Amino acid sequence: MSTYLLRKTDVRPLLKEASAVWDIFAPLREGVGDVNFKALPKDRLAEALENLVLDDEPTLLSPKTIFFPQNETMFAFGSGGIREQVESSPKLLFGVTSCDLSGLLFSDGFFAKDFPDRYYLSRSENRLIIVKGCLKPPRQGSCFCASAGTGPFAQRGFDLQLVDLGGEYLVEVGSGKGESFILAHSAFFASGDGRERAAEAVKRDATATLGPGVDFDKALRLMVTGDFEKNFARIGERCVYCGACLYVCPTCTCFNVVDRADGGSGSRMRTWDGCVFEGYTREASGHNPRPSKTARTARRYEHKLKYDPLVAGRSGCVGCGRCLDSCPVGIGMSKFIREVADGTEEM
Amino acid sequence: METRHTHTICPYCGCGCGLYLVSEGDTLTGTLPSSRHPVSRGSLCVKGWNSHEFVNHPARLARPLLREGEGFAPTDWDRALNEVATSLSAISKRHGPDSVAFLSSAKMTNEENYLMMKLARAVYGTNNIDHCARLCHASTVAGLAETFGSGAMTNSIGDFDEADLFLVIGSDTTAQHPLIGTRIVKSVLDRGAKLIVFDPRTIELVKYATLSARQRNGSDVALVNGLMNAIITAGLQDEAYIAARTEGFEELRKLVAAYTPERVEELSSVPARDLVEAARLYAGAKKAMIVYAMGITQHVSGVEGVQALANLAMLTGHVGFPGTGVNPLRGQNNVQGACDMGALPDVVSGYQKVADPAVREKFAKAWGVPRLPDKPGLAATEIMNGAAAGTIKAIYIVGENPAVSDPDTNHVRKALSKLEFLAVQDIFLTETARFAHVVLPASSFAEKDGTFTNTERRCQRVRKAVACPGEAREDWRVIADIARRAGYNGMNYAHPSEIMAEAASLTPIYGGISYDRLETFGLQWPCPGASHPGTPVLHVEKFTRGKGAFKPRDYKAPAETPDAEYPFVLSTGRLYWHWHTRSMTGRTSTLERESPDCFVEISPADAKTLGVRKGEKLKVSSRRGTITVRAEVTERVKAGSVYVPFHYGEAAANLLTIAALDPVAKIPEFKICAVRLEKAGA
Ligand code: SF4
Ligand code: SF4
Repeated sequence: MSTYLLRKTDVRPLLKEASAVWDIFAPLREGVGDVNFKALPKDRLAEALENLVLDDEPTLLSPKTIFFPQNETMFAFGSGGIREQVESSPKLLFGVTSCDLSGLLFSDGFFAKDFPDRYYLSRSENRLIIVKGCLKPPRQGSCFCASAGTGPFAQRGFDLQLVDLGGEYLVEVGSGKGESFILAHSAFFASGDGRERAAEAVKRDATATLGPGVDFDKALRLMVTGDFEKNFARIGERCVYCGACLYVCPTCTCFNVVDRADGGSGSRMRTWDGCVFEGYTREASGHNPRPSKTARTARRYEHKLKYDPLVAGRSGCVGCGRCLDSCPVGIGMSKFIREVADGTEEM
Repeated sequence: METRHTHTICPYCGCGCGLYLVSEGDTLTGTLPSSRHPVSRGSLCVKGWNSHEFVNHPARLARPLLREGEGFAPTDWDRALNEVATSLSAISKRHGPDSVAFLSSAKMTNEENYLMMKLARAVYGTNNIDHCARLCHASTVAGLAETFGSGAMTNSIGDFDEADLFLVIGSDTTAQHPLIGTRIVKSVLDRGAKLIVFDPRTIELVKYATLSARQRNGSDVALVNGLMNAIITAGLQDEAYIAARTEGFEELRKLVAAYTPERVEELSSVPARDLVEAARLYAGAKKAMIVYAMGITQHVSGVEGVQALANLAMLTGHVGFPGTGVNPLRGQNNVQGACDMGALPDVVSGYQKVADPAVREKFAKAWGVPRLPDKPGLAATEIMNGAAAGTIKAIYIVGENPAVSDPDTNHVRKALSKLEFLAVQDIFLTETARFAHVVLPASSFAEKDGTFTNTERRCQRVRKAVACPGEAREDWRVIADIARRAGYNGMNYAHPSEIMAEAASLTPIYGGISYDRLETFGLQWPCPGASHPGTPVLHVEKFTRGKGAFKPRDYKAPAETPDAEYPFVLSTGRLYWHWHTRSMTGRTSTLERESPDCFVEISPADAKTLGVRKGEKLKVSSRRGTITVRAEVTERVKAGSVYVPFHYGEAAANLLTIAALDPVAKIPEFKICAVRLEKAGA
């Protein structure tokens, strides 16, 4: 693997140059101080770059939403027939965390298998992912990538990966696309020769600081053999159905399809959906195979921790910690995993 | 296409969560919580998470409409605005200014509510202006103003994190104010706070309660008097506080002496033992918050209920400190603000009385009119009665749907159809709009700048994320246009910030509020000056009115009680999934799917007697109307009581409810009427 060096002061000029070809997505501070992972507006690029966040701050949602927005119009219909809405603009995702990369790869797998989803796939087909590993946990107390094996640095799946060496980044190349990007903007990149050792040390330190907090593998094993009905009942009772855990999760991919029409014209839209909602599994007859809060809670945890490892070959939780941070009653995956692995009662 | 995130405030409940609307061009594609906002703190309830979806609904009104026979024909703004302005003027001239009435909206911004009351008063010379606060917290505004001097929530949402005990009465908090409800749940589970719940139904919070009981519907005043009786009997009142901070204690002591736990048990069915225990817990807590909502206010004794709670808090010294207080949870996103801005018949903005000549003079001068009407106007409920009786000839309604939301809607629908002129401004063609002569397409929360004031008196910036659909316009522009066409010259604004500047200059509690100070998380009123930091806790050291006034109040029976013909007590309320008349949530796929149809909650015992099973249709009839709904057999309600959510226009619970009013607050008794149940088809 070839490596390069990128000076931190060159990040903004690099993105500016790259914006001639790419739509750039990155963590930006905005509004009342939150950090959102979003598109840099081309007409206000300089201003947006001022708000680029390079230290490890949590983004509210993962970059999954770029390819799978909360509400997405699939096509419009009316007297003129059907107009499908697909787009595949070139997208450069800068500063993706390692756990979020895992989430993206997971979602890619879901949308590509069996019935390829053209909306997701076309949005994501032309993308370049630049990961930036975390030196400290963005969601202190909630995220657990080191335990889940998804970070803080990625092993694969990125095009480029940045390792923070202080004044500069060591840039690891993970794909041919990544290499071409560097060639296209070669003025910003120096050789990384001789700095790999330093980068390894940074990675080691970060991994040590970040965890492992819980024994994730033990939890996965116990999910297959153990009985967690009591936990599901307790957690289900606490749940208030806000849906946040589904909405923020980088690997939740469920959606509902609805037509919004007024007279003969309108649109077919899909919208985020998921297993905590009663109507999600309600059948037309009114019968519901997941009738209770306990059953719906079980579905969420078992899907991610028991069936995904069986079916997809990896855990459906990447340890980002967002579900805990967004839950108004303090339910979250990191707590659940501790309950399973350590037999405690966290919620 | 570029995605934009616009920070604004949730359009649903009075919690006032901060959120970002995600947009691509003029289409909203998502919502996400603000993680730094003091209320939302990175969370939202399901309504908030989906608050963007109705905005782009194809059924949004996009052109002005004129009545044509039974239906409507599209028209242009010029014609529609002239029609409204001249019809209102002509009727006002012909029948006098008080033949015209205005219904403002708790969904509109502060600025728009301010303009509505200015339009009514300065342009059309009437105080006949009101809004749906009449139907929810009119009792609070009247009741707390008399006891404390300020009719608003005494404490802040942040205070829920430090209270040692919550006394929740008549508030289904997790359903109606989710992000306050969840603070209570977390406080109990994670901090060991105590929780007392009194509610005729077994609400979610009962699961977490240290003590709970289901009082008989409408017995709240007796119940709270009973608590005070038990406190005084045990000598747990805060004598020092009473002496230093209050007046009228002796009268209270005398009145509550008659409410022994045993007598209260008879009146309320709350076991005397529980009552005494609840009294001990509440009085003994270091920091105790009273939390209430419509279970207290929507009664003919609504004001008494509110004042009984105020008495209880003063008796134990639980008001005027962080983590304490009397906390009415305001329902609508901006019902607090609509009241603050004077969309009420007896006060202009800042609760300044229209009966006060100095107030009238100040406003007349600022508004450039020779005089303002001095007689308090009609309340919303009275406006409908006036329309039915023919004394109200014209109404201009913005963003309200009385054809579903008001009690005894058959009566309301008849009243609306009798009007000489009705203009309705809304975002969808609501049940009410169908009665209109002119329909004006309005803006949703996502399409305009302005401010909302949440239940903790926090005035917050609302920001435009997308343009209005089609030809629809921002409400503040429409109201100002009508004023101009009515020949009034004093409503020329380039931006809502100018309206706020004017309102602030005339409204002492908003005196220090201006847009440049609202960039992040707003300001809590009273905020009298440009450098005043706002007021998280009211009545610190001294009550707004000086001394807190005990107002001893006797229990009185509900207006309509069950009898042989109508043997069940019906109570109405709301669901977690929906908002009011469902014009927004009914067009939000996840919310509508979760709760697609109306139902009546009935106890297993009553279901058995009637021979009705879960899911079967039941005919629910009162003296005023009948609806047919699905039976939901559940232990949540007591035998003899039934409950119907009022959201569903097609099975409108308010066809059944009674328009019996609290004599002071004029709030209807939505919470109790007598009904009969029959199996449909039987
Ligand atoms: S389950 Fe929670 S911690 Fe795991 S990936 Fe989803 S949001 Fe992140
Ligand atoms: S709690 Fe209220 S303000 Fe917050 S998201 Fe829900 S409806 Fe909106």
